[in-house]
Amino acid sequence: MPHLDLLMLAALIGCILLGFPVSFSIAGTAIVFAFLGWITGSFDLSLLGALGQRVFGLLTNNVLIAIPLFVMMGVVLEKSRIAEELLETMGRLFGSLRGGLGVSVVLVGALLAASTGIVGATVIAMGLIALPTMLRSGYNPAFASGIVCTAGTLGQIIPPSTLLIILSDVMSNAYQQAQFEQGKFTVETISVGQIFAGALFPGLLLVGIYIIYVLGRAYLRPDDAPPVQQSSEQPSVVEISRAILPPIILIIAVLGAILGGIATPTEAASVGAVGAILMGGTRQGMPAKIAIAAAAALLLLAIATGLAPIRLQRSDVTMLGWVQGAVYAALAFGGIAAIFAALRKLDIADLLRPAMTSTMTVTAMIFATILTASIFSLVFVGLGGQERIEAILTAMPGGPLGALIFSMLLIFILGFFLDFVEITVILLPLIVPALILMGHDPYWLAILIAINLQTSFLTPPFGFSLFYLRGAAPKEVTTGQIYAGVAPFIALQVAGILIIWLIPAIATWLPATIF
Amino acid sequence: MVDPVLSLNHMKKIADHLDTINRATGSTVRWLALAMVLVQFVIVLLRYVFGVSFIAANEAVLYMHSALFMLGAGYTLLVDDHVRVDIFYAKVSPHTQAKIDLFGHIVLLLPSMLALLWWTWPSVRNSWAILEGPISVGGIPASFLLKSLIPAFCILLIVQSLSCILKNLMQLREAES
Repeated sequence: MPHLDLLMLAALIGCILLGFPVSFSIAGTAIVFAFLGWITGSFDLSLLGALGQRVFGLLTNNVLIAIPLFVMMGVVLEKSRIAEELLETMGRLFGSLRGGLGVSVVLVGALLAASTGIVGATVIAMGLIALPTMLRSGYNPAFASGIVCTAGTLGQIIPPSTLLIILSDVMSNAYQQAQFEQGKFTVETISVGQIFAGALFPGLLLVGIYIIYVLGRAYLRPDDAPPVQQSSEQPSVVEISRAILPPIILIIAVLGAILGGIATPTEAASVGAVGAILMGGTRQGMPAKIAIAAAAALLLLAIATGLAPIRLQRSDVTMLGWVQGAVYAALAFGGIAAIFAALRKLDIADLLRPAMTSTMTVTAMIFATILTASIFSLVFVGLGGQERIEAILTAMPGGPLGALIFSMLLIFILGFFLDFVEITVILLPLIVPALILMGHDPYWLAILIAINLQTSFLTPPFGFSLFYLRGAAPKEVTTGQIYAGVAPFIALQVAGILIIWLIPAIATWLPATIF
Repeated sequence: MVDPVLSLNHMKKIADHLDTINRATGSTVRWLALAMVLVQFVIVLLRYVFGVSFIAANEAVLYMHSALFMLGAGYTLLVDDHVRVDIFYAKVSPHTQAKIDLFGHIVLLLPSMLALLWWTWPSVRNSWAILEGPISVGGIPASFLLKSLIPAFCILLIVQSLSCILKNLMQLREAES
């Protein structure tokens, strides 16, 4: 039977739209079409024998270990209400400014980029916390919804984002495949750090564009974004340093360690999660002194080991070396003791177990999708889908540029129905190698795709972000207002894509410079 | 109405029993999320502070990470946290939702998990037969345990899927009467 591969894609979208869990829709369609192909003689069932190796490859994939660690960090920050406090304090800091509340929502959205990385989680959290505050202050409901929807999707492209980790893994494989096809044997790879570096300036560019828009609109149409009226006084320096500084320092430290090439993403993520636990414990009543002492001890350790490193695994360790080691060990144990104190506080507050459960279910959801996508692509390629897609891409009028425009449109449209993870693990391996072979820069391509996907979450009628906000927003905000509210932001996104399209250096300069 | 083979009470009891399996698994496996954070943090301390590193410790994190999402998948289905695109689903009646889920479990989930179980079984069996060693030299010599996560994943999901099917059937039958 011809066109079984295309029917398979159509069936997949159909099953997903029915509302059955996405990962099992993917696996089910794959197996049903494997058998259909077998019956019609267009698929060799023994190909499925490769499944064991595929799944084992996923289990032993070192790059993706950072994901549950980053998720844990985000979940702890969210559950211990650090995110909420951050938003609230920021709101008071900028609230007296016209449009100030809107700006603080954008900034918090950008800071919480490290959070779960699922569009829904961030949008719901912001919709529940920020939207009511903005409405109370007299914001135009459409404008307020637009800000929340858009800020909630920033977590997709601002590192450290779990989605960029998956993207970097997929892009790296596609890049290697493209190089093999060019006959190169010393292939280059793409690391998570490089993708994070590539995404940093484009992400900040978008944040900047949003803030200018929010402030500009508040200036031109003061009724849309009035300053906060009620007598909430300016937060004191102490409050700012308690609520705003720790999350910012944590994110900068984690990101800096990765971009500076000091630590791998997995290592940095574990430090980030531990930092979140210490902050959460403090928020739940552990004396701040303990957390500060622990942070100071660990920081001192980091500086001391940079200045006077010891290598205990070497055979020529001197007496002094052992003494030095003992001092370092004391500092480390102090830090670890504080971590356990924080964990105890979190458990007493009944936050630790829910945080672990959330980490598990979010991770299981992401990886079930990646796992089932590998079944899907095995069957799809077996049915001849890969050749068909490559043929379509090379037949595009306009050569490499035409193929790129077509791919971007395809990703954009699929973004209406599918989440970032699904598109990344199913579609990208099929189209990206061909695009790289046509001469497109892989880093630039990755960032364009990331922003493109982020935009597709905002487009009515099927944008993910809109759906989640609909669920979390107060009843008096109409769906029409939400749609109207995101429209200007979609235009800003398109402007952002065009800027990066025309000036690729925004995405390619940093990874080329620091790696 | 024809007397059903299974009464609603029976179905509920069976579904509850099946749920217990993933509930217990989930509440145990979730501790791996914390454990991997702590072990990875200790690895960072050991590596950067003392210049000491162990491949086995790194692989321990890998094992915990894999076990977390492979064994947690069934629990995630139990609490309905596998992401759905509910553009359409959220708008229809619970009755139609039960029908969609019934279709999905019987046509999509069960066949695919059975197929995954069937086609990955040879590699799991071979791995046990030779008690396959570490992934890289100096690692944990138990790749066969890691591979066993694949059938465990399938079986936990199948168990949960059966419970979901019973619950969907109960809902459809209650609506009839």
